[in-house]
Amino acid sequence: MTLTPRGAASSEPETAALLDALAPSFTAPDGRPVAVERRAITPDELAALAPVDGEVVVVPDDTRLAALVPGATAALVVVDPERGDSTSGAGGTALVAREPVDRSHVAAARAVAAATGELRRTVAGLRGEAAVIDALQSVGRQLTAQLDIDTLVQDATDAATTAVGAAFGAFFYNLINQFGESYTLYTLSGVPREAFSRFPMPRNTEVFAPTFDGNGTVRSDDITADPRFGHNAPYHGMPEGHLPVRSYLAVSVISPSNGEVLGGFFFGHPEPGRFTARHEYLAEGIAGYSAIALDNARLYGRERNFTRELSRSMLPDVPPVPGLDLVTRYLPAATGPNIGGDWFDVIPLGSGATAFVIGDVVGHGVPAATIMGQVRTAIRSYALLDLGPADVLGHVATLLGGFTEPTFVTCFYAVHAAQELVYANAGHLPALLRRADGTIEQLGEATAQPLGVGAAFPERRTTFPPGDGLLLYTDGLVESRSSRDLAQGMEWLLAAVAALPRPLGPADCDRLVATLTGGEHDDDIALVSVHHRDGHHRDAEAAR
Amino acid sequence: MTLEQVPEGVVLAVAGALDLSLASTLRRTVERAARLRPSVLVIDLTAVTFLASVGMAELVRAHRQSGEDTAVRVVATGRLVLRPLQVTRLTDELALHDTLADALAAR
Repeated sequence: MTLTPRGAASSEPETAALLDALAPSFTAPDGRPVAVERRAITPDELAALAPVDGEVVVVPDDTRLAALVPGATAALVVVDPERGDSTSGAGGTALVAREPVDRSHVAAARAVAAATGELRRTVAGLRGEAAVIDALQSVGRQLTAQLDIDTLVQDATDAATTAVGAAFGAFFYNLINQFGESYTLYTLSGVPREAFSRFPMPRNTEVFAPTFDGNGTVRSDDITADPRFGHNAPYHGMPEGHLPVRSYLAVSVISPSNGEVLGGFFFGHPEPGRFTARHEYLAEGIAGYSAIALDNARLYGRERNFTRELSRSMLPDVPPVPGLDLVTRYLPAATGPNIGGDWFDVIPLGSGATAFVIGDVVGHGVPAATIMGQVRTAIRSYALLDLGPADVLGHVATLLGGFTEPTFVTCFYAVHAAQELVYANAGHLPALLRRADGTIEQLGEATAQPLGVGAAFPERRTTFPPGDGLLLYTDGLVESRSSRDLAQGMEWLLAAVAALPRPLGPADCDRLVATLTGGEHDDDIALVSVHHRDGHHRDAEAAR
Repeated sequence: MTLEQVPEGVVLAVAGALDLSLASTLRRTVERAARLRPSVLVIDLTAVTFLASVGMAELVRAHRQSGEDTAVRVVATGRLVLRPLQVTRLTDELALHDTLADALAAR
């Protein structure tokens, strides 16, 4: 992030007129005009001449003049804010004489200063204000569009340190961990991290307290001379090896939503008197934008964690089912902030049968997660009444029809009893049935519309003898690859499943997800694998 | 996403991945189209490269919420768009056409 300089480096008309008016004032002791040359002065050169703030025409002393233009006898420098930039300050143009001169150019400079100084100071002031507002606005726009806290705090620190012309800047900010405890981190600008890593976090000493307590900006021309400085053990001032700080500026960052102090910016410079009221204003402006941006990032992070926790808390505990090997997986989206409405369930039924459910509520975030919770509970309730798959889905569809907002939920529901599967599919992707001989069948493809759209969910039956395996999954598994072609994704899935060993173990399921998504699924994924143990495994079980 | 008035009605053309990021735009654009009270609203998915379930939900919503005077038709070609509609049997729900011309000419 950079602060954009205002305007190109061209002299303005008043400066040119002033130079023309001052040039004839260089006269020899006999009153004869002497030749004068013009020379551009960089901001650094001007700073070396030690101009007084707001001065229009600078008269360099002999030593400084000799350093700037060897052989010169006299010079006047007309300060020109256009020949500079907002970070290094103004430049100017010098009128240089190389013959002996009298003092009349100095008198002319004083006259100019008296006549135009006030006006030019006002203009410079207004221009400075405009530059400040420009810079602030551009920093603000960039900061408030950022939701990643790490990037945000570093950008803010860099921008603020540059804006106030500090040798270095630090931003200490408070975060809340998952246990609700507050902790403090910091970023630095202008110095490597090692410069501070040996020191403890700043405590609420008399110097730092106003910033951490949110009691207003602290600006000092020389903090070592401040009455608040050096009172606190163990260091009584700066710790040994600390970067030298004389000029000091510190601004609180306060949350606009709840007034909480989110952190503080601290700026230092080894020379005294470096920070002006304008720097203070800039720092406060950037602190204000940082507060908004931090607030946004924190709220965003909270929503994201909340949704994630909500999805997790709705996942069922999968009970062991005699004769079946079960593997279940729920993976939130690996990229992006979106949490989906995928879910699965394994429900032991009173009759000794087991129901398997997989589904997907359209949309993401809290709305999808809350609807998912309701649908899951509804399916559980109807399942425990020992209704068949068609009736369970039919009742849930009726229930969803009563919601004010239309919903769109795909769901595959299967009941296993003895050696049979009975299932119905509300617009969900087909389940995969892998027979003991290795053939793969797709179950329930396109038999009914999703819940929220369709009303009838025809039931199908198939055999499910020992040795067979059933795989239920959500679309995140087949739509993750770049092509986003469902037909292609299904082909990849079938090929990947055919290549896996039987029965599918937990590691095989993880490998399947990794193979199909490359670890970069941008949707959530739910998976249920059911293997009907055959005789061999029963024997192995009995032998244990 | 573009909305164009033609003699037969209004054509809403969608391009790119019709997923979560585009679905809300589709909903607003359908609502805008509906305010024009066209006799035909064609949602043209020819340039759609991915049809997520959230996009299908918006198609159903557009179809069901259209007034009695507006016929909503969908142009869907190619398996990228057709396959998801088949798997969810929305082929039964929506009025699907192969081309924009067919959709505009249909009665």
